[in-house]
Amino acid sequence: MNPRGGWALIKRTWASWMQHRSFFFLLAFGWMIPPLIYLFVWSTAAGGETVGGLTRGEFVAYYLILILVNQLTYAQTNWTVGDLIRDGSMNVWLLRPMSPIYNALSTEIAGKVVYMLFTAPVALVLAIFLRPEATFSLGNTLLFIPSLLFAWALRFFWGYWLALLAYWTTRAQAFLSLQDSLIFLLGGQVAPMVLLPGSMAWIARLLPFRYMVGFPVEVLMGILPSDELVFGLIAQAGWMVMAMALYLFLWCIGTRRYEAVGG
Amino acid sequence: MVEKQIEVRKLTKTFKVPVRAEGFAASLKSLVQRKYQEVEAVREISFDIEAGEVVGFIGPNGAGKTTSLKILSGLLHPSSGDVRVLGFKPWEREPAYLSQISMVLGNKSQLLWDIPPMDTFRVLAEIYRVPEKEFNLILDELIDLLDMKALLTKPVRNMSLGERMKCELVAGLLYRPRVMFLDEPTLGLDVSMQGRLRRFLTDYNQRSGVTMMLTSHYMADVTALCPRVILIHRGELLYDGELAGLASKLAPFKLVRLALEVDSPKPELPPEAEIVEQENGRLTLRVARAEAPKLTAHLLNTLPVADLSVEDPPIEAVIDQIYQDGEVSA
Repeated sequence: MNPRGGWALIKRTWASWMQHRSFFFLLAFGWMIPPLIYLFVWSTAAGGETVGGLTRGEFVAYYLILILVNQLTYAQTNWTVGDLIRDGSMNVWLLRPMSPIYNALSTEIAGKVVYMLFTAPVALVLAIFLRPEATFSLGNTLLFIPSLLFAWALRFFWGYWLALLAYWTTRAQAFLSLQDSLIFLLGGQVAPMVLLPGSMAWIARLLPFRYMVGFPVEVLMGILPSDELVFGLIAQAGWMVMAMALYLFLWCIGTRRYEAVGG
Repeated sequence: MVEKQIEVRKLTKTFKVPVRAEGFAASLKSLVQRKYQEVEAVREISFDIEAGEVVGFIGPNGAGKTTSLKILSGLLHPSSGDVRVLGFKPWEREPAYLSQISMVLGNKSQLLWDIPPMDTFRVLAEIYRVPEKEFNLILDELIDLLDMKALLTKPVRNMSLGERMKCELVAGLLYRPRVMFLDEPTLGLDVSMQGRLRRFLTDYNQRSGVTMMLTSHYMADVTALCPRVILIHRGELLYDGELAGLASKLAPFKLVRLALEVDSPKPELPPEAEIVEQENGRLTLRVARAEAPKLTAHLLNTLPVADLSVEDPPIEAVIDQIYQDGEVSA
C-alpha cells in the first residue's frame, strides 16, 4: 500500500485533466444523452398515469439519478488499459514500486471530480425544469451509499479484467463495448428493471450489469420490496468479489505473458 | 571485495510470434488455425556486474539487448536461466527492488505531457517516499548538473527532445537508485546534447557510485562512458571485457593508410591486402593483424610510397564488421 503515492497521482491526474476540462465536459455530455432520451420517452409515455407503477415525475427522478450514478460508476480508465498493454506504455507503471492499478484508480477518482463539475449542475438545472418526484427515506439513502460504492467497484474491476484480456488479444476493447451494450440493455438504462419483460428481468437480476448502474438508483428511489433489496445487495457484493478475483487472477498470469513492446 | 550487483546465469528468453503467409486466403486460414513460431531473443547469456560499474550493452538491432534489460528491470519474465539484481529476482517486482532501480528509455517517456515536469517529479518523490528535504537537495544537484532550471515549469509537450531527455534523467534519478538501466538515452539527440548527457552520466556515476548498464547504437556513447562492454548478437554473448580490448580481440586486422607518389602507375597489391578506400592515389587497406609488418615492408619495397601509416581500426568499423559477420573471428 502506498497512499501517499496514490494521493499524489490523483492530484497530478486532476491537474492534467483540468488542462483539458472542456474535452471531458463534452464526454460527460455525450454520456448524458442516452439516459436523457429515455427520460423523455418514459415520462411522456407515463403522461398523467403510471407505467409499471412509476409516475411521470418518478421517471424524471429515476433518470436524473441514473445520469449521476452512471457518471460516478463509469470506468473510463478501462478503455486505456488495453492500449497501455498493447503499445508497451504499461512499462512505466510496472517499473514503479506500487501496483499499476493505483494509476487507474487515481484517474478514476480525479475523473469523477472533473465530470461532476459538469454533470451535477446540468442535472440540477434539468431537475428545476422537469420537476422530479421522489421521496428518499433515511434507510434507502443509507443503503444507497454502499450500493453506489459497490456499483463503482463492480463496474471498475469488471471492466479492468476485461481490459486485461489485452495480454492475450490485441482487440480487448471489443469486450468493453459488449459490456457497455449489456449495461445499456440490462442495467436500467433502456428502462427501469421493473418494466423489463419477465424473462429479461430474470436474466438482469442474475447478471452483474444491473448492479453496475440501475440497482443503486432503484435502492434510492425505494422501488424495491425488502427481499429484492437484500437479494440485490448480496448479488452485487458477490459479483464485486468475483470481479476483483478475476482481476487479480488475470493480472498475475497476464504479467507473465507481457511482452513490454517497444524501447 | 566489490559487491556483485547484477548476476546473470544462462538467461534465455523465447517469444512466441504468430506467423501468417501473405494474401486473403492465408488471412482467412489464420482465423481458424493460427501458426506460431518460437523466436529466441536471448540465448543462455551469463555475466556479472559489480557495484559502480558502467557497462555498455551493445549489439545490432534485434540482438536481444533491450529484451535483456527488460528482464533485468523486471518487465519481462525469462524463459529459463537465473538473474539476481541487488539480490532480487527482478520479475517478482518487489517494491523494495523497484525502489532501488531506474530505467530510462530513450523512446518512451515517463513524464506527463500536459503538465510541467516539476509536477511529475513531485509525484515520483511521493511514490518513492523521498522526504521533502532530501527531494530538494537531490533536485538542486541534478538541476545544477544538467543546467535545466528553466525547464521545471515548461509543459513537457513544448520541450525539445534534448530538454525532455534531461527531465527523463532527473525523473530516473530523483530517488537515488543503486542500479540504472539506460536504453538508448541519446537517441535522436544532436551531437552537442549527446556530449552534454554523456558528461552528466560520467559525472553522476563518479559522484554517486550508481551502477549503470547502457545500450546505445552510438559508439561515441559507449567509448565515452563504458570502460567495459558486453557484446551480444542474435541473442548470444560474443564478448565481455574492456572496450580497449575489443578491437584487438575481435577485429584481427589493421588498417594501412598509404599515399603513393604523383603519377604512379596503378599499384599491384598482394592478395592479402583488401582495399577499403581508394581516392586520388590514397589507399586504405585492411590486412590481417599478423600480416601487417610483412605486408608493410613489402609495400615500401615495391611501391612508390609517399606516406604510410598503420592503425587499429576505429571501434565503429570493428563493430560493423562483427554485426555483419555475426560471429567473433578471433
